Amino acid sequence: MQADRRRINAPSGGTAPPIFATPKDTPLRRPTRTRKPDEHRKLFLRTGVVPSASGSAYYEIPLQSPQQPELLVPSSSSLKITCSVHGPRPLPRNAAFSPNLLLTTHVKFAPFATRNRRGYMRDAGERDLGMHLETALRGVIIGERWPKSGCEVVITVLEGEEDGWWGDAGGQEGGRAGGWGMMGVLAGCITVASAALVDAGIDCVDMVSGGVAALVQDGQDGTKVGGEAKIILDPSPSEHQNIRAGCVVGYLQSRDEVTEMWMKGDAGTQVEALVDEAVKAASLTRTVLAEAVREAMGLKMGKASEEATGGLKEDKGKKKDVVMTG
Amino acid sequence: MAPYTNIPLSPAELSYLHTSLSQQPPLRPDGRSPTQFRPLIAETDILPSANGSARICFADGTEAIVGVKAEVEKSRLAHTVPSNGEAAGQGVLGLGKGSARDVGDEMDVEGDESGGKGRDAWLEVAIEIPGMRDDDALPVFLSAMLTEALLADGGLKDRLWINSRFHWRLYIDILLHSQALSYPLPLLSLTTHLALLSTRLPALVSEKDEDPLFNDDWEASTYLYPPTTTTQHQKPPVTLLVMSVGATILFDPSKQELAVADSVLAISAAQSSTGELRMVALRTIDPPSRLTAAGVPNVLNTTTGATGAQTLSAADVLAMREKDQGQSVWRPPRGGVPRALVAKMIKMVVERGGVGEEVMEGLANVET
Repeated sequence: MQADRRRINAPSGGTAPPIFATPKDTPLRRPTRTRKPDEHRKLFLRTGVVPSASGSAYYEIPLQSPQQPELLVPSSSSLKITCSVHGPRPLPRNAAFSPNLLLTTHVKFAPFATRNRRGYMRDAGERDLGMHLETALRGVIIGERWPKSGCEVVITVLEGEEDGWWGDAGGQEGGRAGGWGMMGVLAGCITVASAALVDAGIDCVDMVSGGVAALVQDGQDGTKVGGEAKIILDPSPSEHQNIRAGCVVGYLQSRDEVTEMWMKGDAGTQVEALVDEAVKAASLTRTVLAEAVREAMGLKMGKASEEATGGLKEDKGKKKDVVMTG
Repeated sequence: MAPYTNIPLSPAELSYLHTSLSQQPPLRPDGRSPTQFRPLIAETDILPSANGSARICFADGTEAIVGVKAEVEKSRLAHTVPSNGEAAGQGVLGLGKGSARDVGDEMDVEGDESGGKGRDAWLEVAIEIPGMRDDDALPVFLSAMLTEALLADGGLKDRLWINSRFHWRLYIDILLHSQALSYPLPLLSLTTHLALLSTRLPALVSEKDEDPLFNDDWEASTYLYPPTTTTQHQKPPVTLLVMSVGATILFDPSKQELAVADSVLAISAAQSSTGELRMVALRTIDPPSRLTAAGVPNVLNTTTGATGAQTLSAADVLAMREKDQGQSVWRPPRGGVPRALVAKMIKMVVERGGVGEEVMEGLANVET
């Protein structure tokens, strides 16, 4: 039957207007930071989640504060990132000679990752994150051991950190310059990519881990100004009204070096303290990273030894068969 | 020429350059001192149809033009939370109890706050580099870098606020006029700085929340960064490129110098109203040296008659290369930059009488 394309047909069934189940007089409360200034949120990290990729990892910072019971909308976001590493694999035949491993990074927010929908095309912010990540990883990979080969690091952010509290005016901006959520996302990206690189077995000088710190100046009870400036580890932007400066580092603990540093905002004289706090955050993340990698290694070794013994048994069985038929 | 890097230097040349740059004092290929900049030609206010403009030409032939245009735009109503606890979005959609007008009233209260009225979206930076698409990595990275430096300053976007219903929208269009011979960030940043210094907005005649009406006399227009009689006034940020080779810190590196850099930082500094420089943004930049080819040690080089490559096992060859650590032949740098070195670089830019101040002074002397 020819569909009627000239008019918009009414739905075949009846419709009912949506009813929002907000109870009357529910005060919206900004989530507050309950942990200490130098305490990191709890992390979840696991490697080897994508069987078809040569290395993969999943990273999550679950919701920390309990949900405001009378609201359906979560008061703050959690952070969920997956990463898969493809390679090292040979460059295509028509590509020019490269003496080093060519690294490409690709960061994409899923369309449903944020409160406002993201498009399918990567926007400028996502490309920028990709560049940051590439800088962080290029420094740790020993590229000259893989001439003529390439490696892709693909990151999908399943749930992104917000730039401010959703109930705030303006919504997207927490403080004087926006984009604080991106800093948390970058730190997560660095850590998860590092775990995936280890899972893929690519030679690195060290494991790089990401950490964020921010200089916040929250006023008392809901005012933006005033208050004492203090430096906190691992900020959750929705918990603060006035973030003055932020810093992300990609830190190599065993070499005490920084492969990536991204700082913005006016930290005044406290720049060095801010960097030190970010490095402290990165060191805390590294303990989780090392633990996750060790766990994955243990599993792999166990499986490998099992397979080896299992394979041997099978071989024996086959031999026996041969003997019997012969 | 090596592909992917466009560096026409052999491992031997790279090694030579690295050694000469890591000496104390460093020997730069063009004989400059570590903090000296390349000579440049600058002029401002060159485009009659733009609110502000500038052009800078480096001696190596790279040239950039920046035009700043401002447009009046109606402010989008901010989403606020009415006190009855209903999200503003529901009111606008007509699904909740509050009407759209209620949300508008809330906006007025918001507008009366002092400071912090500007929005990040009111500033738009577009970079055009020949031979590159505008979604290529480099232009995206450069425009993000310049934008965050301008916004971190805070004062600029607040000055774009006209009244609670209207605001200026500032378009900064950066045109690199030549091939990018070295990393173009400092060139673009200095040109943007000059263009913003010369930017003028028509004087406002209307009052308060009326539809804005402007004085059509261009002589009466106000500067976006109002100049004062003293040299100390608020100025737009400049972004400087700083690189390190070993313990040496070099400013304004040329392309050849970047090819052997251990680390490269882009540091943005802005001048506050008291005349002090503050760092407003910092990024590490991936140095092209990491993509250069490593040299072959003499014991492994078959062309010099050594038989190492044939007699040794692959593991031994690898061990030998690792042991060499880039001592006898060039090896692309590994790892990152120590924290102390970063702190030193920041200090050199920001400190009183430092490089940042010198650059600001130099730019202030540019005549229109």
